[in-house]
Amino acid sequence: MDNFEKHIRENASEFDEHKADRSKMWAKISQELEVEEPKVIPLWKSPMLRIAATLLLLLGLAGFMGKQIFGNSGETQYASKELLDIDMHYKGLVSYQVQLVQNNPNLSEEDKAEFLSFMDELDAEYEQLRIEMQSNLDNERVLEAIVSNYKQRIELIENLLKQINDSKLNDDDYGYTL
Amino acid sequence: MKTDIRFTHQALVEKCKTGHSSSQYELYELYVDAMYNIGRRMLNSKEDAEDIVQESFVSAFRNLNSFNYESTFGAWLKRIVINKSINYLKKKQLPVVPMEVHEFHLSEDSPEEKVDVIDIKKVKVGIGLLPAGYKQIINLYLIEGYDHIEIGEVLGISTSTSKSQYHRAKKKLVEIINAL
Repeated sequence: MDNFEKHIRENASEFDEHKADRSKMWAKISQELEVEEPKVIPLWKSPMLRIAATLLLLLGLAGFMGKQIFGNSGETQYASKELLDIDMHYKGLVSYQVQLVQNNPNLSEEDKAEFLSFMDELDAEYEQLRIEMQSNLDNERVLEAIVSNYKQRIELIENLLKQINDSKLNDDDYGYTL
Repeated sequence: MKTDIRFTHQALVEKCKTGHSSSQYELYELYVDAMYNIGRRMLNSKEDAEDIVQESFVSAFRNLNSFNYESTFGAWLKRIVINKSINYLKKKQLPVVPMEVHEFHLSEDSPEEKVDVIDIKKVKVGIGLLPAGYKQIINLYLIEGYDHIEIGEVLGISTSTSKSQYHRAKKKLVEIINAL
């Protein structure tokens, strides 16, 4: 700051050369101050609105979560229906063939028990897959695993039945050759 | 006891915060002339200065609860007056900073003229003869004692722009004073 600037700043009060018309100005100021300024209450300060906002927020959150859980109801229904069809188809096949095995007089009780224990294992695996399916409905791999589980059961039954029939056939053949 | 300059008139200010009207008048009496002179310098009009100062006092009394002694009451009130004045000038589309055109008439390299005799009366006349845009920055820096950061805030320009505009304005002022 040079001398010129310093000098002006030091004598700044000399620039206050006017006198305000105090009473005239005060009259207007006090008049303005008497007029009650419309109170602006910020929305967030009102307790009722706060409660309403909280409720709205909770409802929103609940709605959002609900949508997350049940939101894909259309898809869920579709997937469930698809699963139900598969389930019905294979369950029918499996129970029919299990029945065949159980009723087969050519099988020993031991063979039947062994077969049924395999079936039980596959049943347990199937239950696991169903639980997985509920929480992970969109997972194609789970669906494939369920189908594969059914296929294994059917394969197991078919192999067993083939084995029985083969042995029957051998016996028959043997009978014929005799 | 607080001796900090920021707490000047604290008792009075605190009474005003409760809406005590005679205290409000007392405080008004203490500052009205200073504020009126700021208004006159900024606006160059008696009526405009009165209006702006009235508005500023009303606004100050209504918002006194937000005044927390971060500055003196006087400095706080002064800022209100200056801000309102600048807004008023902007509304009237009067230049608050020098127009770009002026810059082309000034040579950056020319040495600054010296003022031999510093006569405050001449300075007053000189400021009065300054182009509209130069007046505000000279007033704010030399008379109101604002620094370039504060001027930048008030005028909505950068600190460096404030510095360069001030130097141009000062150069112009010195030229005018020397020619008187």
